Amino acid sequence: MSIRLRVSLVTLLVTLVACDPVQSDAVAALGGEAPGVRRGPLHRPGQPCLVCHDGSLGSPEGFSVAGTVFERIDGASGANGVTVLLEDAAGAKKSATTNTAGNFYVLSSQWHPRYPLTVSISPPSGPAITMQSLIGWSGSCATCHTPPVGPDSAGPVAIELEDGGTPP
Amino acid sequence: MSFATRLFALAFAVCAAGCSTPPSDSRYVQTALPNRAEFPPVGQLLALRCGTLDCHGTTFRNLRIYGSAGMRLAATDSPFVPTCDTSNEDDQDYLSVVGLEPETMSAVVNGGDPGMLTMVRKARGSEAHKGGQIWIVGDASDACLTSWLEGHADAAVCATAAASFLPAPTSNPLTQCFVSP
Repeated sequence: MSIRLRVSLVTLLVTLVACDPVQSDAVAALGGEAPGVRRGPLHRPGQPCLVCHDGSLGSPEGFSVAGTVFERIDGASGANGVTVLLEDAAGAKKSATTNTAGNFYVLSSQWHPRYPLTVSISPPSGPAITMQSLIGWSGSCATCHTPPVGPDSAGPVAIELEDGGTPP
Repeated sequence: MSFATRLFALAFAVCAAGCSTPPSDSRYVQTALPNRAEFPPVGQLLALRCGTLDCHGTTFRNLRIYGSAGMRLAATDSPFVPTCDTSNEDDQDYLSVVGLEPETMSAVVNGGDPGMLTMVRKARGSEAHKGGQIWIVGDASDACLTSWLEGHADAAVCATAAASFLPAPTSNPLTQCFVSP
């Protein structure tokens, strides 16, 4: 192998694994794992999943859509067994079910939705709740649904409001 | 003068000419603006389709869109509370739209092609856009925006366009907010 070819390959390799400081900062901002919770489907409920699960080289398996559904809008405990039904702009549908942490995810290898998306959630008991606005491009629920409720957030995704009612 | 000296002098001159400072009074005053009174149906469409919190419903975008289904202007408000866009949000959205490219906006209002505006081209997908193609030339959404820019706003077509982007239209509280044609 010639020196020139070797240099080219090394340059290519360095380029491929080069760090994105913005993405690195976003990952760092999420903090460490919660004590006693291993990396896996139950970890980091309420966090923007696609910050790490973006499918890039060296990252965990990529998700196209993922998030957490909580029992109540205070985000204290995840809602298990909630069916999340997604529909993309082309009418393609995909569903996922939340686990005991309230987390759900759709692998990007399984579904490449065309935005915007609509979404509804169906708890094991009780009526389905439809999100009343579109999802523009972000596959992470927590890009927008962050606590607390305020001018730029509707709060965590929940199946019950603080007053016991359901979201609109 | 040696060749090297000449080359250096030329490089210096080019660098010096490349430096500039803005004139002391270089503000541009828009000569023509689209109609503010006819903006609410347009703003409603933009808020629904463009102003979600993950897109233009954020202060990180040059085109900032406020509205009920996205970012709220008042610190005490939150998405869907109050249900409809406020008049202050309409004001801010209007200023955001007309202030993006003021010179071009004036040219369009004076009869230029709306496609001169970056926001029109991005929505049509003819220019790179993070959100991809939003609508196509001539459909209800495109007609809503361009008819307003051209001075003959069409509230009915705006309402049609906005309704097409409303999830669960029969139960969506935003239905009550639609501006009547």
